[in-house]
This record gives sequence, C-alpha cells and structure tokens, in this order.
Amino acid sequence: MIKKFIHQFASPKTYLFQVNRFYPYIFYISLIIYTFSLIWGLLFTPQDFVQGNSFRIIYLHVPASFLSQSLYVAMAFASITYLVWRVKLAAYLIIAIAPVGAMTTFVALISGSLWGIPTWGTWWQWDARITSTLILFIMYLGLISLHNSFSNYEKADKLLSWLVIVGAVNIPIIKKSVDWWSTLHQSASITLTDKPSIDPSMFYPLIGSIIGFFGLIICLVLISSKHQILIREKTKSWIKDYV
Amino acid sequence: MKILRLEYLKLRKKTRSWLGPILVFWLIMLAYPLTVEFLQDKLEIGFFSVLWIAILISMMLATEDIFIEDYNDGSLEQIMIKNSSFQFLVSMRIVIYWLMIGVPISGLSFFFSLGTTEEIFLSLSIFPLALISSYIFLNLFVLGNALSLNKGSLLGALVTMPLALPVLIVLGKSVISIQLGINFLEFILLLLGCLSIIMIIVPVIVSYIIKAHLE
Amino acid sequence: MFSFAFNSFEEAIYMNGHGIYVWIVFSIVISCLAAFFISYKNKIQKIKKKLNESN
Repeated sequence: MIKKFIHQFASPKTYLFQVNRFYPYIFYISLIIYTFSLIWGLLFTPQDFVQGNSFRIIYLHVPASFLSQSLYVAMAFASITYLVWRVKLAAYLIIAIAPVGAMTTFVALISGSLWGIPTWGTWWQWDARITSTLILFIMYLGLISLHNSFSNYEKADKLLSWLVIVGAVNIPIIKKSVDWWSTLHQSASITLTDKPSIDPSMFYPLIGSIIGFFGLIICLVLISSKHQILIREKTKSWIKDYV
Repeated sequence: MKILRLEYLKLRKKTRSWLGPILVFWLIMLAYPLTVEFLQDKLEIGFFSVLWIAILISMMLATEDIFIEDYNDGSLEQIMIKNSSFQFLVSMRIVIYWLMIGVPISGLSFFFSLGTTEEIFLSLSIFPLALISSYIFLNLFVLGNALSLNKGSLLGALVTMPLALPVLIVLGKSVISIQLGINFLEFILLLLGCLSIIMIIVPVIVSYIIKAHLE
Repeated sequence: MFSFAFNSFEEAIYMNGHGIYVWIVFSIVISCLAAFFISYKNKIQKIKKKLNESN
C-alpha cells in the first residue's frame, strides 16, 4: 500500500506541478514569519542577564543548527525510500538537499564561532558538539563530491544513498554530544518533553525564527529539487510541454 | 576456511599491499620524535595522538587496492555471480587484511608505547585498543573504497574519514582513562560494541555497493 | 513584550560592543540564503532557456 501511495504521488511530474502550486505560499508566509521574528528577537527582546546582547545570535544560530541535522535526517529517509522502493524523486531529493544542508551547517558553525568570542572568550573549541558539527559539514561536502564524481546518475544515486544511511550515525552523536561529553556548549534550551529553560519573551521569537527559517529552507529544497528534475528529466516529453 | 586461505594466499603474494602500510606506520612513529627536537623528555604528551592517527593512515593505505584489481580484471563480477554470499567473502577479506596488517601494527603500537612511556600496564592496555580500532578503521575504509571503487582511494577516504573521527575521540578518552585509572574497560566495551555492529553491517553494505558498481 | 530594547538606533547597532558579532552573523545568514535562492533561480532559468531552444 505504501509502495502504491509513493509511486502515485511521487512522480517527478506531479511533484513539479505541486511545487509550483505551493511554493509562493510557503515562501511568502515563511519570509514574513522569519522577518518578524528576527526583528522581534534582535531589537525588541530584553538583553540576557549573563550574556548581554550577544545572546541575540540565538535567533540566527539555533534555526541553522536545528536544520543542519534535520536535513541530514530527511536525506536518510529519502535514501531508505530510494533503496527500498526505487522512487526516483527520493534520489533527486537527496542530492537537492545536500548543498542546502552544507550551507545551513556552515551558517551554524560560523554563527556559533562568532557567538563564542564574546561569551566563551574563544571563537573555536575542539569540543564534542562543535567538532561533530564540523564532521557533519565535511560529510555534506563528501556526499556532494561523491555524487559529482560519477557521470552515471543512477549509480551515483545508489552509492550516495548508502553513504547517507551509514553517515546518519553521526546525527545522534551530535545531538547527544552535549550530554555525553563535558563541553563548553550549553545543553538544549528547548526540548519536546520539558518546559523551555528560557523566558517566554525570548522563547516566542525563537520559535518564530525556527519556523520561518524552516519554511525558507523548505523553499530552497523545493527549488533545488526542481532544478534536479529539470536536469534529470530533460529528455522526457512532459518536460518539453512543461517548459 | 577455504575462502580464508585463498584470501590469505592472494594477499601474501601482494607484498607491497601488506608490508607497505606497516612500514608507513613504522616511519610515522619514527618521525614523531624527530619533529619535537627540544621536547624529547615530553614525548609522551603527543605520543598517543600520533599513534592513533598513524593507525588511521596505515589502515587507509592498506585498503587502497582491496577491490580495484579484481574489479579491473573482471574477477569481482565472476565472484559475485558464482558466490552466493558475497558479503561473507568481503568480511573474510577484511579479516585477512586485519590479521596481516592490523595485528602487526597493534603489536608495534605496544612496543612504541613501551619505548615512549616506559609503563608496561599502559602499553598492555594500548594493545587491545589498537587491535579494535585498526579493525574499525579497516572496515570504514573498505566501505570508502567500495564507494569510490574506480575513482581513486582519495575520494573514498574523504567520504569515510569523518565517520572515523568519533572513534578517534573515544580513543583519546580511553588513554586519559587509563592514565587516570578510571573506566578503561567501559571504553573497550564501547569500542567492541561499535565493532560488532560495524563488522556485520559493513560487509553487507559493501556487497550492495559493489553490486551497484557492476550493474 | 514589544517594547524597543534600546534607547536609540545607534545603541541598537552598537549593542554594548556585541553589535559587531550579532550583525556580522545576521549578514552572513541573510547573504547565504539570498545567494542560494538567486543561484537556483538563475540555474533553473538557464535550463529552461536551453530546453526551449532545443524544442
């Protein structure tokens, strides 16, 4: 049943038409939420008692860091879908997500480093969370270079899927690194099970910035996958009608 | 046993493949004291970091041509058609590589450690760590080489090296725990746990990856 | 909850010396997002143009 569902709704043609339909709504709603949350967070929240105004980087760092891991998990799900059910769209999504994931990880690393200067007194520390995030960034670059080194797309997709699945082992390590190792990095302020450890006046814009950034990254993945479909399906007759 | 013997004979013939990584390991460990110059009495401080990285690099070199010759002369395809359990063959090949390269390197690690630290207990504890870590690294680089089968081992190392870094972190922590006399066995168990998963999963994945190359 | 956290616009830029870090991170995030959006839009336009020419 799952197979039938996936094959029915995950054809590149249907997907492309749905992307074109929903993309503007997601983009503009996310842009409004993100802009509003950033203005709220950067200019209207009170300054932190300990960190002063540097805490405002949280509204830029946390969404990027959250997305860098989530995108890898999404790639792992797409890889399983591709290897088990041979869904072409899943393969397109894997390589569409990889550069976007690399960008968000890069942003998470840079914003974390700059945040570290006023708060920790150092821009880099070889601790578990930062090092494992750097490993994730290298993983993304490795995935992109592996895919680019093969001219046969089908072979590249299969190899990439296997590597993504194996590399997913890094995600729980990053997630739990702040609990497993003694580190300068603070523990998570927001969890699904516990009450948030930050004040509501700082918490709401943070949630807003995460949702807004998430929406914008979804849009990036959508246009990146659209780009992949146009490259890979260019010989198909429906693409000519579409263009 | 027959496969194991066959794999052993094949590797024994390729002297460069098994002797090369051992010699490279030896050279790295010999080069370390030469680079510290005035800090000869403080060699111990950086010794273990150099040791783990030397094992990592040696294992990377060891797997460089693990499949490529068989792939180029078409025997990999034949093996896959003939042999019903290709993953078993892959795991046997890894075992032989470990026995002929990983085990001697672990033995050398013990002697280098003894020579540098002059502590018998510490060096004896390094030996099992070197045995386990060399097997883990070997598996990871076999995976990398399978992925970049005909594209050079550099790409394979690039894509799998990040996976080896958490192991390096655990190894670093193990040494600290041995030196402080705490939790050492728990780290060995953690590494053994990782190894038991890796040694089952990697041959299966490698066989699928090679199939994808041959399709 | 919505009161301006600073006394003046200059203070909001300076942020007691932390402004430089906050605004650098802000500009990096925004420029990365913008660069990706623009580059994908351009790539799609190029492919569409190519496909149109070949039709």
